[in-house]
Amino acid sequence: MPISVVRSLEKELTLKAKDFLLTMQEFFIFSMRAFFTLPKLTRYWRDFLDQAKICGTDSIPIVLVSAISIGSLLAIEVGNLLEEFGAKTMLGRSTSISVIRELGPLLMGLMLSARFGSRNGAELGAMKISEQIDALRAFGTDPIAKLVMPRLAAALVMFIPLTALSDFAGLQSAALLAEHYHRLDPGIFWNSVYPRLVPKDFVVGFLKAPVFAIIITLVSSYNGFIAKGGTAGVGRATIKGIVVSSGLVLIANFYVSKIVLENM
Amino acid sequence: MIELRNITLKYGEREILKNVSLTIRDNTIKAILGPSGVGKSTILKLMLGLIKPNSGRVFVDGTDITRLKETELYPIRRKMGMVFQGNALFDSMSISQNLGFFLRENLNLPEEEVQERVAEQIRFSGLEGYEDQLPENLSGGMRKRVAIGRALIFKPHMILFDEPTAGLDPVSSKRILHLISTLQQSSNLGAVIVTHIIDDVFSIADHAAVLYQGEIIFDDETEKLHQSEHPFIRSILSDKILEL
Repeated sequence: MPISVVRSLEKELTLKAKDFLLTMQEFFIFSMRAFFTLPKLTRYWRDFLDQAKICGTDSIPIVLVSAISIGSLLAIEVGNLLEEFGAKTMLGRSTSISVIRELGPLLMGLMLSARFGSRNGAELGAMKISEQIDALRAFGTDPIAKLVMPRLAAALVMFIPLTALSDFAGLQSAALLAEHYHRLDPGIFWNSVYPRLVPKDFVVGFLKAPVFAIIITLVSSYNGFIAKGGTAGVGRATIKGIVVSSGLVLIANFYVSKIVLENM
Repeated sequence: MIELRNITLKYGEREILKNVSLTIRDNTIKAILGPSGVGKSTILKLMLGLIKPNSGRVFVDGTDITRLKETELYPIRRKMGMVFQGNALFDSMSISQNLGFFLRENLNLPEEEVQERVAEQIRFSGLEGYEDQLPENLSGGMRKRVAIGRALIFKPHMILFDEPTAGLDPVSSKRILHLISTLQQSSNLGAVIVTHIIDDVFSIADHAAVLYQGEIIFDDETEKLHQSEHPFIRSILSDKILEL
């Protein structure tokens, strides 16, 4: 390979690495500013309530659909497997662990990344492109306090009940399928769920909610804030926000489980 | 008074502004003229501290704002009003909400006073009857008047206009220019107007600066533009609109 090609490749890689580090630095400062403005929540309580409705109440249908479908699927597949070993009575136990620890919060995180994250990216991106964010700054309003902090606070508050709802719907649908598909008595199903659940199971599952809230809100909002290049730029910012936050949700899901399970 | 001293600004490798110095005195209208994409709007953003120069300093009423933190800049920005090229109105808010937004947001004024000031701006901008409309339901000229009203609501002593007549029909353009001129005469308001339309400069500006290839090639009274020998200025005086 000619030296000139190697050099230009090296230059390109250096530039990309520099760009990446600068973006990370900017994102870190952006995130810190979002957290430091949380004490201003009382001032922006109306924005907080609006966002709580958007990411909380309005997200209930999609969270229910995903939780019910995964709970039903788990009950069918795991039930079939357990039946082979004559251990069908353990269906409640295995489904509840999967739903509460992993799939309930994970699916909720992915659904909210698509729903709430895309809304943040598109809305803030459009505001950036139309100079509304510059207008806020020009007239002396902190755009992070006004636009990002209420979203962050709303997600932190609402993701926990949504996780609980997701768990509840997932387990109920699993119980229903266990009864009607596997002909398992509901008493047996629930008896293998409740007495065997330990605090660790809930800690793993519910700790993920605030972690996902932070990831989804900050990543999608940051991408909206740096959108450029007209309407196509808004599209790019939205997609990037969803892709990156979904990827980070998957990674965080693994590490939260690993850390809690190893330390509790 | 706003003063830019030896400002240099780069975007990546590209040098947008090269050692630019400008002074805008209170109670005067200064136009910054230049072709599209030359960095005129960037100058307005520098004046507000929305972007930082690579070198040089920006003074607002004697305060060096170049190194101020974002929160320290807010009270300084409120001394100036900004009218953005695309108006930057909040599209989910009605006209009266747009006008009152920053008063409610940043000043602890009683609601009656906020409403009084909003009504005053509605009257001044000739928008009676449109208070509850969303910006999307208004014409370009009306939206521009709302944006001017919003910039005036803090009672600033300097107002910055980014291409105030761009994209407007001749009648609306005339109306906006008349509004700016009235403001300067009735409220002793200083103004900076960034434009690429030379007729606008001669219509209302006391002083003009011409930005070309990142440098100020003219900075004097508007009428003296005719005396300039610079080839670029000679060409824009003959072409009138800078479609470059």
